[in-house]
This record gives sequence, structure tokens and C-alpha cells, in this order.
Amino acid sequence: MGTLELDGVTKVFPDGDGEIVAVDDVDIEMRDGEFLVVVGPSGCGKSTTLRMVAGLETISSGEIRLAGKTINDVKPQHRDIAMVFQSYALYPHMTVRENMAFGLEESTDLSDDAIDERVTDAAGTMGISELLDRKPSDLSGGQRQRVALGRAIVRDPEVFLMDEPLSNLDAKLRSEMRTELQRLQDELDVTTMYVTHDQTEAMTMGDRIAILNAGELQQVATPLECYHEPANRFVAGFIGDPSMNFFDVRRDGETLVGDAFDYPLSASTLDDVGDVTDLTLGVRPEDVSLAGDATGEHTFSTVVDVVEPMGDENTVYLRFEDAPEGDTFIATVGGLQQVSAGDEITIEIPEETIHLFDGNSGEAVHNREIDE
Amino acid sequence: MSDDARTDGGTVSETSAGASDGALSGVDGYRVLLYLGLLGMLAFFLIPIESGLVTSFKTSSGVTGSLPFAPPTGATFTLGKWQAAFDALGRGLVNSALYAIPATVISALLGSFAAYGITQSDWKPKYKAPILALFVAGIFIPYQAVLVPLSQFWSMVPLEESLGFLWSLGINDDYVGIVELIVTHVAYGLPICTVLFRSYYKNMSEEMIEAARLDGASIRRIYRRIVLPLSGPMFAVVLIYQFTQIWNDLLFTLVLVQTESSAAAPIVLILAGLGTSLEGQDFALRMAGAFIAALPTLAVYIAFGEEFAEGVAT
Repeated sequence: MGTLELDGVTKVFPDGDGEIVAVDDVDIEMRDGEFLVVVGPSGCGKSTTLRMVAGLETISSGEIRLAGKTINDVKPQHRDIAMVFQSYALYPHMTVRENMAFGLEESTDLSDDAIDERVTDAAGTMGISELLDRKPSDLSGGQRQRVALGRAIVRDPEVFLMDEPLSNLDAKLRSEMRTELQRLQDELDVTTMYVTHDQTEAMTMGDRIAILNAGELQQVATPLECYHEPANRFVAGFIGDPSMNFFDVRRDGETLVGDAFDYPLSASTLDDVGDVTDLTLGVRPEDVSLAGDATGEHTFSTVVDVVEPMGDENTVYLRFEDAPEGDTFIATVGGLQQVSAGDEITIEIPEETIHLFDGNSGEAVHNREIDE
Repeated sequence: MSDDARTDGGTVSETSAGASDGALSGVDGYRVLLYLGLLGMLAFFLIPIESGLVTSFKTSSGVTGSLPFAPPTGATFTLGKWQAAFDALGRGLVNSALYAIPATVISALLGSFAAYGITQSDWKPKYKAPILALFVAGIFIPYQAVLVPLSQFWSMVPLEESLGFLWSLGINDDYVGIVELIVTHVAYGLPICTVLFRSYYKNMSEEMIEAARLDGASIRRIYRRIVLPLSGPMFAVVLIYQFTQIWNDLLFTLVLVQTESSAAAPIVLILAGLGTSLEGQDFALRMAGAFIAALPTLAVYIAFGEEFAEGVAT
């Protein structure tokens, strides 16, 4: 049914005499009914990828298949795809009802009564029944968002494409709509490709996440896999907030030697590392824990630089005793822990929580252990 | 309501307090000069119109016996000049409307089509650019430079023969000039219409057009159902501009209809000779005629004024 496959999809834009590769050889396979979130920093090619699926951009090379059929040369109006835009792109001169009916009138042979029935149904699903006779200019941002979604679901397409649909909403409304979108997608069970730069949306909404950087696909995996078993340093740094701490280290025998600390490794970790010597040590802020005294081999003395209280937890900027001023890393500790700037505290970085990346390629060589 | 009242009350008490502070100390020299300057400019622009209006209501002796801007007194007041001007210009009003309205509507519509084609269609920019360049070049061709080629062109086109069925219906064959005027004005108005619409369509939400494409609409349907209904303000601008241009144009009518004795003479041709005779100029009649000739353009401004303001602002 609604399986969507991207096979070696590449987009090259001409730029003066040269060219810019916006999307580079991306392979993604989406199951029918899957919710895939495409995430990455701005300019990473995620929107271009989505627009190629929609048919709004041509494909430089590669193939896009929908339900097994190649759709490279199918015009957007014949692709049976509905898209929700960041700006909602409602038709300002039409009422909500006309906005929602437009797609059905243009793409199907349904009778007026049948169209009206489907519009009413979809409006009920989206909770906008009482707005049907209003113009978009009379609606709030959240209501417009619902109309834009309603306009997509009324078509009952093979695939939904969503281009940062929540980014114009305020924070509270955004988290509400996030939950609602998930519920809706679950209910309708339509294959959905969702583009965002917000890693919270990516983590909470998607069945799987596809992470793009500079046009290249970094990893496609479930949110928890991306979080705990990142394929490379980019994914590790992109997913998670506050983001993972990285330290450039050199392996010297069985010890990692950093600028301000030494970190001994166990035999099993050393097996993963192999003969790589330039490494990056990564540890998530929540895995940095306070220790009573600096007696263990993975405990370090640090100085507190800044504390940002968040209520439930404190984000603490720490500096190794030997490290230069301003060279800090982040730990999150419980909200009731009394920590203040200038304190000298001892922390522990447990070995089962560390990630190690190849210092040159950035590929992960060792990921943290997960208790099954 | 109560808020309004309070604000109003506040302003009033403030100004009255300022005025009572001392009649001389409250006067701001800069403001006095500013308002004097503004009043002077107002008078400068309004006096010609006022003079024309009062002159049109004067008898011939009233015109010679009083200052141009002085209003008519009891004995020198007459509506006769307006009546005479209307009698003389009546057929010209109809003839002008016969070509000005179709030419305005057709050039605006074609301009809108063309602009849609060179903005929202998915042609490559390198194909759009030369076409746009041709349109822009068209704007800068002066009318005077094309008068001779224009009359030669129409002498080569067998328009009069091919419209034979009209003349056999009893329509005066002078009206071939009206048809020529329609085609000529559409052709010369098209570039500016296209460029005006183009800038409007450039600012139209691209995502909205893309949404319509994904909704299954063809490029023609998108124009019909999305772009055209949203073009109202720009149509107001173009209609007002084109109508004023075409209605007031004398040059093409001189070339294509030529004489005011023609059955198809437009109002501008008749107006040019109105009130002029060997005995001298009948200024009152000329003024009344000028106002009658200006009324349709004024009516168009008033009719589309609101959309015009919106269209100019975007």
C-alpha cells in the first residue's frame, strides 16, 4: 500500500559555474503507516527531500517509489500525496469548508454531497466543525493549523508530507498539537513523512527518525536507538538536550588521555576501540553524576562555573580543575541538589555510560551499555 | 465607548490647557510656517480646478467680466453651457466607452494571464527572462514613435472588409476605427499591465500555489480558482490606470478616427474642437466639456478606490 522508498535520491542545484549538492544519495524505506521524522539542522536538505517526494522539486538522480511504482516523472497533482506547509498555505479567499473541499473537487469525481460529507467528517476529526464557514483570516494560528491538517486528511492520500507544521505555534500549543498529531496519525494509519529541525518533535513523534546533515543521511533508527546508539558523533550531538559532552582524547595503552584528565578503559571497551588512537569521548549530561570523593578511577575534581536551575533539575556547567577558564562541560543534577557557582565538586563518569567516536571520521566505535 | 469618551475628553482638556497658557508663548513658529506652506500648496493645486468649475457655470459675459476664480453671481449664472457641452459630447461619451471599456478589460485580463505565466508556471527562469525583457521594453516605446507605422499597419490589415457583416447590419463603417482603437490600446497597454501583475504575483505565497498543485489542480485551474480571485486589488490598480490612459488618449484617436465629424468620434476628439470658433473661445463651454469628459475616469476611481489603495500598498 503506502510504502515509500527513496533509492539513492540526489538533488543538485546549479550555482553559478559550479553546483551545490543539497541531497546526496539518500536511501530511506518507509513501511505502510509509518511515521518517519526527518530531522537535521537548517540547510541540511530535509525540506528539499520532502519537496522531491511531493514532486515540487525535480530529482537529479535516484528513484522515488510510492507503493512500488516509480513516481519520479509523475506530476505533483497526480501523486496522491497531501502536504502540510509551515505557513499553512490556506487559500485566503475561501472559507474553511471551501479550503477543505478544494482538493477533493480538483482530484476526484465525487459528487458535491459526497465531498460535503467527507469535509464534515474530517472537520469533526480535527475539532473544527464550528469554523467551517469562516475565512482563514478570522482564525487563530492554532485553528489555521488544524484547518491545514484537515485539508490534508480529507483527501485520504497515500502519504502525508509535513514541512515543519508546528514551528509557527507558541510553545504550549505546539506540545498539544504534537500529541494530537501523533494520535491522529495512529488513527488514520497513513504513511507520514515529517520534517522538522526540532529534535524534541523528532524524539517524541516518530516511529523512526532519519537524521540528515549537509545532504547526507546520518542514521535512520528508532528515537531511542538514535539516542543511545548514535551512528556517529553528529547524531550523538544533535539528539538530546542539553547535548552530549565531547572531549578530544588520545588512547595511550589502556588509558584515554585528554587535555585535563585521564580516563582508564576496561578490556571490553578496549576491544571495541581496536587500534584507533585519536578518539572523541562522549558522555550525556545526565550520566555525569556527583560522587562523594575522588577515589574511583572514573571520578574527577571539578569546579562549578554556572548553574542554571530548571526546577526539576539543575543544568550545571563544570570545568576540570586543570582545564583553562571557559572550557566547560555540562552535567544535569537533581533539582534539590545544592550546587552553586565556585563550588569544588567531585563527579563520576561511569564507564558503562560513555560513547567513543573515531576522532577523524566521527563514526561511533563504542556506544553505552543498555540494561535490557 | 467609555474609553473613547475618556480619550477624547483628555485631549480636549490638554489642548485647552495649552491654549490658556498664554496666547503668545504657546505659538510654535515652525508650525505656523508649516501650516501656511501647506495652505499655500493646497490653494495652488485647487485654484485651477475651482476656476474651471466656476467658469463652467458662467455666461459668456460673466467669463469676460469677472476674475476666473470668482464664482458666478445671479445674472451671470447659467446651466446652459453644461447642457450645450453634454449635447455636443453625448455621442462621444458612448463612442469612447465603446473602445475604452473593452480595451481596459482585455488588456488587464491578458496582462494577468501573461504575468501568471512568467511567474507561477514551472518554466525555467532562463526562458522567462527574455519574455519579461520584451514586455519591459514594450513599456518604453513612446507613442509618438509608432504613429506612422501604426497607421500603415492598419491600412494593410483588411479589417473593414472582414467586418462586413457589421456594416450590413446598418452600423456606420466609421466604427472600424473603434475596433482598431481597441486592438491598438490592448497591444500598447499589455506590457505595463503584465509588469504590474507580475510584481503582484511574485509576492503571492508560493506555498499556497504548491498546495493547490498537490491538491490536484492543473495550472489553468489554479489560475481560475486561486490566483484570479486573489488578484482583485491589482485588477483595481490596472483597471483605473488603463482606463484613464485609454480614455484620455488623443494621439491614437487622431490617427485612427481622425475627424470629429466621424460617427465614431471619441469624446477627446470632439472636446478638442469644442467651443472653438472664428469668434474666439467659449471658455465656459470648454470647461463644462472638460468636466463631463473627466467624469467617467472619476467614477472609475471612486468605484475601485478601496481595492486601489490595497493594490498600491502591496
